[in-house]
Amino acid sequence: MQQQAPRAAAIELSSVRRVYGFDSSATVALSGADLRIEPGRFVSLIGPSGCGKSTVLRLVSGLEEPDAGSVLVHGMTPAEACAAKLIGFVPQTPALLPWLSVLRNVTLPQKINPRAGRRRAAGSASPDMRELLRKAGLGEAMDKLPAQLSGGMQQRAAIVRAFGLRPEVLLMDEPFSALDEFTRESLQDQLLDLWDELKTTVLFVTHSVSEAVRLSDTVVVMAPKPGRVVDVVDIDLPRPRGERLFEERDFHAYEDLIRDRLRSAWRSTDAATVGGTNR
Amino acid sequence: MSLASQRTTAVPVAETETGIVPREPSRWSLKHPRSRLAWIRPAIWLPLVVMLALLGGLWQWGTARMPYLLPPLSAVGETLSRNPGYYLRNAGITLEESLLGLAMSFVAAFLLAVVMSEAPLVRRAVMPIAVVLNVTPLVAIAPALVVAFGFGSAPKLIITALICFFPILINTAVGLRSVPQPVLQVYKTMNASRLEMLVHLRVPNALPYLFAALRIVTPLSVIGAVVAELSASGSTGGLGTVISNASSMNQLAVVYAAIGVLAVMGSALMLVITVIERRALHWHESSADRT
Repeated sequence: MQQQAPRAAAIELSSVRRVYGFDSSATVALSGADLRIEPGRFVSLIGPSGCGKSTVLRLVSGLEEPDAGSVLVHGMTPAEACAAKLIGFVPQTPALLPWLSVLRNVTLPQKINPRAGRRRAAGSASPDMRELLRKAGLGEAMDKLPAQLSGGMQQRAAIVRAFGLRPEVLLMDEPFSALDEFTRESLQDQLLDLWDELKTTVLFVTHSVSEAVRLSDTVVVMAPKPGRVVDVVDIDLPRPRGERLFEERDFHAYEDLIRDRLRSAWRSTDAATVGGTNR
Repeated sequence: MSLASQRTTAVPVAETETGIVPREPSRWSLKHPRSRLAWIRPAIWLPLVVMLALLGGLWQWGTARMPYLLPPLSAVGETLSRNPGYYLRNAGITLEESLLGLAMSFVAAFLLAVVMSEAPLVRRAVMPIAVVLNVTPLVAIAPALVVAFGFGSAPKLIITALICFFPILINTAVGLRSVPQPVLQVYKTMNASRLEMLVHLRVPNALPYLFAALRIVTPLSVIGAVVAELSASGSTGGLGTVISNASSMNQLAVVYAAIGVLAVMGSALMLVITVIERRALHWHESSADRT
């Protein structure tokens, strides 16, 4: 049965390969990676260091080009998607501009690359940033400088800055890894609230299994040497996922499942390297 | 007791909830080192006053013993109060030379730094030369410039501009390039143009470096102007000319009066730079803990 042409995925990687360095010192950061993410999904990439999860983010955001295979964002190349301002990026550090107030930090992106704004649909007018900041609990900090805020608040401002672009795709590179556990959980709450309202596709890189399970619709498990996708696990837990979630058995079952997958991915890596040296 | 200790451990949590880092004590408190009222406390002003009194005493003692080494302070004060117009006019000439030279080199160095940050080829060609010239004592070519350009203001401006040029160039170039990678990545994913990155990210990021350069270069600009005047004996004016004329006639009081005026001029310039810097860099950590 012939179906109509499938809608373009939000993010599509097909047999992507990325190698750093040359010849003997070459590291295969990503090998034969296939990934298809539907619009509006919250997807986490998890895996040990060196498994290529940050490489995936850099490829999708167009900061790097694949050596083989293709990366598409809503059917466009990453460069075209950036030109149309479809992509929001939240790095590991807040990366705010220290000389601008929080409000001006989050509004500056709307003045950047103004032609992209006109090219986009009229319905996606830029949101009221004051309102968005208030929602993120930054109402009183709006006119302060970043250095006057705590690390958690700075990272929140960075997230608001990215959401303020109304991106089709939001890329987050371990955004909470530098925060203490308490701040981390409250930021997860707020991220889910914001995402609930603006419903963009999120690609979220993390080291933390519980963070991945709590936030995501889908968890992509990756393994190193060479960096590759080993498993894709759909998280079938009801939303909204408040703090109660941590007490539920299903939540822990998913955590155990993903830990298990990560462990077997490790083992297969060890086996592969041992086998390699034998030959 | 144990309850109290529990309370104190709870404090950081409350703090992250509001998330706002507590303000430092009021600037009007006497205890605050940057408060204007702090000068009322003897502990702040007394050390300087004692030191000045000691130095003055030492000077007078030296004068009494060796009249050719130092003029009496009273003689220096007398020539200053008798001819204030003479010193002011000559100070004006020197000030004009140094500020004009500084302004010229500021514009040129800033523009070249921008070109260098946008064009790696230019940077690779220019930067090594700039670094070498920056450590060369450029005042040494003052006599040669006087030979080439005569006794007018041209050699003075050239010398001043040359001395100021390389510190400004190097610092600005570093500042323009040192925008943190994650910041650049965020704005690259918005497809920010090079001009937008320059205006919104690189130039503001370079400001602290630029002001650091100005603090180095402002005294240098006065030195440049004076050295050029000294090497062009027979110039029409300027404190350097005053010094070289007076010392050839053994008028030590006039020499030291001119040096005193130069010191006051240099301090005033630094004060102006500091005030502008505080305004422009209120966000920067260097302005938070400067005393």
